[in-house]
Amino acid sequence: MNTSVSSTIRDRVQHIETIPSIPAVFLPLLKLLGGSEGEVNVEEVVRLVSYDNSIAAQCLRVASSPLFGMVQAPKSIKGAVLTLGLRRVETILLTCCLGKAFPAKKWVLDPVVFWRHSLGCAMVCRRFSEKLAAADGEKAYMAGLLHDIGFMVNCLAFPREFGTAMERACREESPLHEAEQASMGFTHCETGQALAERWKLADDIIEVIAHHHAIEQSQKAQPLVALVHLSDLLCRMRGLGYGYYERHKVDLVSDPAWAILLQQHHDLEGVDLVRFTFELDEAVEEIHALVSTVFGGA
Amino acid sequence: MERKSREYFVLTATAKMTIAAHAPVTRLAPNKGAGAIDPVYRQVRDLVYKVSGIYKAEEKLYLLADGCGRRMQQLGVRNPCEYWDHLTAHPTRDGELRQLLNEITIGETCMFRSQPQLDALRKVILPEIVADKAKQINKRLRIWSAGCSTGEESYTLAMNMLEERDRLLKGWTIEILATDLNDRSVETAKTGIYGDYALRNTTDYFKRKYFSAADDKKLQVSPELKKLITFSRLNLQDDSKMLFMKGMDLVFCCNVLIYFDGVSKSKVVNHFFSNLNLGGYFFLGTSESLMKLNDQFHLIHFPGTIAYWKPSLSSGKL
Repeated sequence: MNTSVSSTIRDRVQHIETIPSIPAVFLPLLKLLGGSEGEVNVEEVVRLVSYDNSIAAQCLRVASSPLFGMVQAPKSIKGAVLTLGLRRVETILLTCCLGKAFPAKKWVLDPVVFWRHSLGCAMVCRRFSEKLAAADGEKAYMAGLLHDIGFMVNCLAFPREFGTAMERACREESPLHEAEQASMGFTHCETGQALAERWKLADDIIEVIAHHHAIEQSQKAQPLVALVHLSDLLCRMRGLGYGYYERHKVDLVSDPAWAILLQQHHDLEGVDLVRFTFELDEAVEEIHALVSTVFGGA
Repeated sequence: MERKSREYFVLTATAKMTIAAHAPVTRLAPNKGAGAIDPVYRQVRDLVYKVSGIYKAEEKLYLLADGCGRRMQQLGVRNPCEYWDHLTAHPTRDGELRQLLNEITIGETCMFRSQPQLDALRKVILPEIVADKAKQINKRLRIWSAGCSTGEESYTLAMNMLEERDRLLKGWTIEILATDLNDRSVETAKTGIYGDYALRNTTDYFKRKYFSAADDKKLQVSPELKKLITFSRLNLQDDSKMLFMKGMDLVFCCNVLIYFDGVSKSKVVNHFFSNLNLGGYFFLGTSESLMKLNDQFHLIHFPGTIAYWKPSLSSGKL
């Protein structure tokens, strides 16, 4: 990307009419929920969530939805954690947090589609990590969840240009980042990077946001970027893409990202990719239903 | 999307606690209306996957449970645990596993059975093959429907290829070979008369274009579809005949390999690999996989489906 495009992006991100602010509880919550060895202090989660009543209320509304088939709706966040399981509550909380940062009326991309993809990618990243002894599952989850935040920036700072790119991608059935590059001259990777730097996210997460479509450019976090790249591809091939047909074939094992990940994680070789794919399909339905519930069928 | 009933165990615990990654989930069998799926069926699912490559996803687990139920009834077995012993410890376990596979893969077929496969074929694979063969003088596309049963898949492929005849495949010769072990199936396929059940996924557009009325409210496939397909009897385990099936661009072998034991399956798959041209694709049924039967094929993901690819010279992946 040349310097002038880069400065245009930074300038626009600085001057977005309503600057998306990351909810105060988001980062501490992520840190807390990613507690080691699955041990999480539920009281602390409840305390944090209660700082933001609207997030707590939305979380309870979702937890009470028919999706979870509860006989009795949970009346508190603690009740929700105890009945739904921490991972589901985590997903609900983080979706509510990020959903709050971006006003629904500003979306060019359907927010339901966007969240399905982001949550799907987060889940695949975590599941992939679980297969790799040395991988950090919670870091991977966060990276998957946030990898495409550049699309949100595009909606706010470049709505007209991004709308054209989106139309082009749907018309040509091409990958969205290629359509962005062809029609805007830059992609959500650059705009996402600008927002991530502004939000002061961790360096490796910024690398993921900036380079998940061009792993070779990653300097500091190649294995994590490679993991997100592969998970992103897999999601797009299994019903968690951007809501249109992508004329695309994916050979994950021959992808350069696979080799990068393999260097770091030798146990990748033993992963049964077909079974992994079938298992992912099981979760797709739940993600579809969850996101529709969070956004009230938006 | 259909929302299935779910039941979650309620964890009773103190506030500061260790929580499993997911609260244990049990689902009601949707067709039963009551009673959770016995965890033994997940063990059966894993066993079936291990020996056959067939994977029944969580929402389809009730189909596996139903199949086990029918076998248990025939055997007079009282509960899933006892049936598990029949599958793993009993002297007749291999035979029982075969019986179970028959139960869960009962010949349920129809036209347009897997739209994601057809989309991958028309939107991604055909353009790729057409580009690969751009410099060849005789442009010929050869497709093999191996284990074609009563012909639904073969005619579906024929319709989709004819749809491309004036576009991508303009000037191409299209050949579809459809084979099955069962003589009666092959005869039925040749007749090409189908009822509502086989046509339940076929749109009016295709019905109008490629069918005419037959008696008994059934539809008859058009002569131009028939012309594209050669039906014949073939035993996939007949090595000498398999060697002659050369020059395929695409092989479809859906829900057939389950009937073979491990060694035969591996042999058949290796034949398919040889039968394919470089750059050709091999499709299985939607819940089937090759597992480790052949490490020369590349697993390829397309939107909503997977296939196996024989690398081409130009790909540099041979």
